[in-house]
Amino acid sequence: MKIIYYIFFSLTLVCVIRAQSYSIYGTVTDTIGKPIANVNIVVIGTGFGASSNEKGEYFILDLSPGVYELEFSAVGYKKFKSDSIKIKDRSINVDVIMRQKAIESEEVVITAGKYEQKKSELPVSSEIIPGAEFIEYNYRNLADALRYVPGVNMTEDQISIRGSSGYSRGAGSRALLAIDGLTFYTGDTGETVWEMIPVTELRRVEIIKGAASSLYGSSAIGGVINGITRRISEKSLTMLNAFYGFYDRPYYPEWDWSGERRPFNGITLSHSNTLGKFGFNLSFTRLEDLSYRRDDFYKKYIGFLKAVYNFSSTSSIALLADTFNKRAGNFLYWKDSRNALVPPDVDNNGRIETNRYLFGIIYKNVLSDKYFLNIKTSYYRNNFKDNGTPLNESTSHLYRGEIQLNAGLTEQIVLTTGVEGNTSVVKSNLFGNPNSFGAGVYAVADINLDFPLIISVGIRYDYSKLDSLKGSGAVSPKIGLNYKLNDNLIFRSSLGTGFRAPTLAEAFTSTSSGGITVKPNPDIKSESNTTFEVGVNYIPFNFINLDFAVFRNEYYNMIEPGIDLSDGLAVFDNVLRARIQGLEANVSASVIPRTLDLALNYTYMWARDVEKNVALKYRPRHLFYSSLNFNKWNLHFGIEFRFWSKVEKIDDELVDLGIVVDGEKRVPVYVTDLNFGYSLYSIGMPVNVYLNVKNLFNYNYVELIGNLREIRSFTLGLNLAI
Amino acid sequence: MSYKNIKTTISILSVVILLCSCDHGISPKPASQEVTGFSGRITFVGTWPDSIKRTHIVVFKDPLLDSKDFNLLNIKFISREIPFGTAVYYYSSKDSSVIPGTEAFTPGEYAYVAVAQQASDELLLVRSAWFVAGVYYTPGDRSQPGKLIIPEDTFVRNIDIVCDFNNPPPQPPGGN
Repeated sequence: MKIIYYIFFSLTLVCVIRAQSYSIYGTVTDTIGKPIANVNIVVIGTGFGASSNEKGEYFILDLSPGVYELEFSAVGYKKFKSDSIKIKDRSINVDVIMRQKAIESEEVVITAGKYEQKKSELPVSSEIIPGAEFIEYNYRNLADALRYVPGVNMTEDQISIRGSSGYSRGAGSRALLAIDGLTFYTGDTGETVWEMIPVTELRRVEIIKGAASSLYGSSAIGGVINGITRRISEKSLTMLNAFYGFYDRPYYPEWDWSGERRPFNGITLSHSNTLGKFGFNLSFTRLEDLSYRRDDFYKKYIGFLKAVYNFSSTSSIALLADTFNKRAGNFLYWKDSRNALVPPDVDNNGRIETNRYLFGIIYKNVLSDKYFLNIKTSYYRNNFKDNGTPLNESTSHLYRGEIQLNAGLTEQIVLTTGVEGNTSVVKSNLFGNPNSFGAGVYAVADINLDFPLIISVGIRYDYSKLDSLKGSGAVSPKIGLNYKLNDNLIFRSSLGTGFRAPTLAEAFTSTSSGGITVKPNPDIKSESNTTFEVGVNYIPFNFINLDFAVFRNEYYNMIEPGIDLSDGLAVFDNVLRARIQGLEANVSASVIPRTLDLALNYTYMWARDVEKNVALKYRPRHLFYSSLNFNKWNLHFGIEFRFWSKVEKIDDELVDLGIVVDGEKRVPVYVTDLNFGYSLYSIGMPVNVYLNVKNLFNYNYVELIGNLREIRSFTLGLNLAI
Repeated sequence: MSYKNIKTTISILSVVILLCSCDHGISPKPASQEVTGFSGRITFVGTWPDSIKRTHIVVFKDPLLDSKDFNLLNIKFISREIPFGTAVYYYSSKDSSVIPGTEAFTPGEYAYVAVAQQASDELLLVRSAWFVAGVYYTPGDRSQPGKLIIPEDTFVRNIDIVCDFNNPPPQPPGGN
């Protein structure tokens, strides 16, 4: 095909030369080197233009000598305007890289509401992470990227959206992760395993803040993370992403346990193609990290397949397969602050191995121009074991099924209804051998009164039963409003309830690890909340986007881990009547149009146990993020800064009992990252190279008691698309 | 908000970031002024021979490759007496000792740590008067006597020795 193109192009050139006219030609790609088709290219001030083909190639013919400017536009990408192009006596090659839109809210589409909606029409706050950022910023894990989302903070691998969660070592989650609509949580612990998601396969990630239980049920009590995988390429496309990096030496010589700079590396090979009605994305990822901490290394292998068969233009079936294997050290806490990067002697040589598989089938059928059917079913196997004494091992099998029907009842009303069920079978020496069962039915109506006003009304009923415990049900209603006063000013508000059933781990865990013994709690009950938000989005000038929101969440019977002081054992219990309230302010500005972007985000959170009048654990009161990104001449340069105030309360009991020596040490978080990227497409090579410096100032901080976060690291990466 | 204001914001932000990041966050606690030394547990297995009059923990700087290596210059530690018939005995170099006689112990590397016994009432510093009842081994390696390594300002723990009267360790050269 390429040969045909060049022959055609050469012939074209000959014709052009004969006519004493010339061409501008080139290739349009995104920031990870993937060709973009159907880009509209306009020669400004003339009637000339073109559209890119499936390989991103374009050519504009019959141009007389002169000076021209091109404007490139495509759905989902920021407009790009070229520098002045002077044609004198030859045709000119202009290759262009277009960036995905992130801040221009009007056109951005969100599917976290189980059908496509414009971000600006949602009644709740939401955020988008464009897929290209995972490679540009060398986010090896979805959790790394979530650390920079406004209103979100992480405590190690546990997410907290607007203060929804503290830390419970993987037992339960108050934010639900879905990939292409399939939920990713384990059948025993109920945890979200971020590391099994191959980030290079993600097109974008949507974050919905606030309870989404009326659509998603339990686990979405704090919000939803919705990942959308890459589209399947219409032509053969192979991509290679590889990186190598190393951690710098620790800032304090006392911590330099290894005497060397510890390396890490990763490689992803992916292929995408369409063969008639069948198309697929297939990738394999290997990640290795020797870690800056002793007994914290890992080797991970991730296999991912998305295969789609289109029965017709209106119906398709997709298979999603995600496999994950990890062999790693098992670092629980530091020895003490003088030995912050090594575990206590008794925990030396801790190891853990995990094997996880998720297989899902998604059937879609547009029944008519008003009805859309979506059937999803999945199986998630989770197995992990360590080498502790006693050895901990657990295997769970989670089966899920969901039938969803979207109906355009009228031109103004979209009704989303569905029914789903799940069952989990567990065999474990931590949790026993319990089973669980859950089912839910939901209906949400979005009523569009010609947008200035959209009303969203929904309700869901869930029933949950954990093994021998008494079953419980919950009704989760919600109402949301979105009012567009004018093109530049949009108000939104929502009021809803959420609930979360305890996980098997929270009810039945009985084990010892790192000096902590956990006992089961057969009396544990579901937790619930009410959530309220009001927000406004304002665009005073076309280069500034302002967003402001106030929120308040009331939690009842909130499940938190703690120490039973009567016996010194850890236990999950309904201990809290909590309130989390605050505000969020975001500013996005294009300082130099299409060249220099600035984003500032601030979140204030007041998170307290209102009965004891003490702060909730692991919730910083202030979150601040800023980023500055420069894009020009195929060059990308970005700087990101993250601030979390010092958390008021941690697991003080672990310090008092002497389990975590110097565990009281914690500080505010100040982390600065640098990112450089350069595309070699301009010199004919389908390669992008990246250089990342993380934690530039080698700042030492903890998110979790006794766990120093990553010290300064340097990474060099490349992305090749063929 | 004008471009000028935005650029001012960026400048102020950059300064704030730099100032905040000058501090390096969590730092190690100051080193405790711990007395340099070592401690451990002696476990006796079997019946004590009636002939035993004295039992001590002894530490030698250099390996005992020859009977001449058993000399006063090479002996760096002789503990106080371990009572006859003891089953388990916890010791520390901080306790009173025959040698060196001070609480602090010189940091360094010591080649041979043992429990040695004598059949005489008086303390004799000649090789032939001693019988080694137990030797310190590095955990997991019983192929040779373990080294006692004491870094500066560090008190090393868990220097444990098992004395099996039914299965005595190899004796250094020069014994009876």
